[in-house]
Amino acid sequence: MSLAERGRRIWVYCEGEGGGYRSASLELLAQARRLAAEGDAEVVEVVAITAEGDGDSETLQGRAHRVLVLTGAELVPYTADSLVAALSAAAEEDEQGLFLFPEGMRAREVLPRLAVRTGGRAVMNAVKLLAEDGELVVTRPVVGGRAYAELLVDEGPWLVAFRPNSFNPDFPADLETEVQSVETDGASSRIEVLEGAGGDVGVVDLAEAQVVVTGGRGMKDPGNLQLLEGLADALNGAVGVSRAVVDAGWAEHAIQVGKSGKTVSPTLYFAFGISGAIHHIMGMDTAKVVVAVNTDPSAPIFEYADYGIVGDALEVLPALTEAIGGNG
Amino acid sequence: MKIAVLVKEVPDLEVKVGVSDGGTELEVEDRNVLNFFDELAVEEAVRIRESGLAAEVYCVSAGDGRGNEAARRGLAMGADSAFLVDDAVLANADPLTIARTLAALVEREGYDLVLAGKQSTDDESGLVAAMVAELLGIPCVAGVVELELEEGSARVVREQPDGKETLRVPLPAVLTAEKGLNTPRVPQVMGVMKAMKVQVPTVELEELGVEAAPELRPRAYHLPPERPPVKMLEGEPAEAAAELVRRLREEAGVL
Repeated sequence: MSLAERGRRIWVYCEGEGGGYRSASLELLAQARRLAAEGDAEVVEVVAITAEGDGDSETLQGRAHRVLVLTGAELVPYTADSLVAALSAAAEEDEQGLFLFPEGMRAREVLPRLAVRTGGRAVMNAVKLLAEDGELVVTRPVVGGRAYAELLVDEGPWLVAFRPNSFNPDFPADLETEVQSVETDGASSRIEVLEGAGGDVGVVDLAEAQVVVTGGRGMKDPGNLQLLEGLADALNGAVGVSRAVVDAGWAEHAIQVGKSGKTVSPTLYFAFGISGAIHHIMGMDTAKVVVAVNTDPSAPIFEYADYGIVGDALEVLPALTEAIGGNG
Repeated sequence: MKIAVLVKEVPDLEVKVGVSDGGTELEVEDRNVLNFFDELAVEEAVRIRESGLAAEVYCVSAGDGRGNEAARRGLAMGADSAFLVDDAVLANADPLTIARTLAALVEREGYDLVLAGKQSTDDESGLVAAMVAELLGIPCVAGVVELELEEGSARVVREQPDGKETLRVPLPAVLTAEKGLNTPRVPQVMGVMKAMKVQVPTVELEELGVEAAPELRPRAYHLPPERPPVKMLEGEPAEAAAELVRRLREEAGVL
């Protein structure tokens, strides 16, 4: 019997960012390895699949049984059309494959189109992948995070995108890794880039940050938002804001946390002067530890917080930045 | 130019949600609205028509006994017509089935541009619109915050983690709306009255010749884990801050 007949193969799309691979991809590799090591769900092979130009595939050594590097002139720089063509060629090789993606713009562009081409299941926004009774189970939020659904990974290819920070990224990189290169048939992009994004690599991505420091209307003035940056810098975190702050024109929508903004799942989340409307909670309720500071002791945010301080964000925030800097 | 807008009816954010029958059934209070991001798409389509660049705007929705609210809201905002695919098969449909349905319908009605929200506020997946594009064989740009029509193409801006990028996409295409694209109008009373009177034509899956993908039925549901009660830290800002740092280090282990 071939490998594929005896069990499932897990493919992890290793997405490049700033010359390396996204940590959200590396944590998926770690989880796939964990499932393979447990042996319960008969994960027979973990394959890191990546495109030329995404990162240095040498750094994936030990993290997967096999690294498949897709090569081709159209793949650099990334375009959705060329990556879809390249990945679908690879996916057709494994009709029972489980393909994992890190959530983000690329997953949103590529995954649905691959699902159409392969007839596979497409699941976005997943937060858990576990083996139970020999089966793989994916968990994802439904009704905007008000409940969670458990999906049994059944027949056919499955394409699943996971929210960053869903898994422990630490797993020994101790495998013998075979690196393969596959030349893909070119598919040129139908979309023309007129002006690229800034490519500012100094910024910690809000969606992936381990620490997120957010402020709401309790920050009182747009000029005070820089206090959030002070704390975020001290903790190598990212700054976010509430919808009210964006709607008031104090900050860009790109850093809004909540239903109509970003969903974040950091290890540590700070909410300064945010009341905690359901709209906001839906964007951060999977954060592991939540700290809330608000002048109103009955603010709903305290119901979702692990630690609370009743007080003025403008007084507590600098004190906190100092306390962390002083002891760090 | 003819613009098709894909619209979805979703539970209001504040609905009651429960799990019953040992976790096998999800109960969601029946109070639905037009998806927030789809509202942006309808607004953009109506604005394009008002500017004279499009002659017709229609909304399409697919679901099992759902979609009427969304279609009527679209009409009240100024869409010329709406179509509803109402079929029991769509109750636990895979997004691919919904996409095939919507693609077949817009193919039948004709389109030069397809607009949709970047995702629904209930599933938050953003799958259907991109799938429709792939089924129609046209490009898709997700999360558009600026849209300008040119001859045979559209110039769009979207947000990336490292800033904004400007793209040119040939038409027809599927473009999905992100917050910031516009501020949707609140429909006038006259518009709402008119929309109430319209009989939204319903279409069955069979008429469209759509083959349903296997159902996606979760094996179980559960509610989010409850957070332990909050620990309130007292004292002056400096004292409370110092105590917080100590707890985050020693108790929570996150610093």
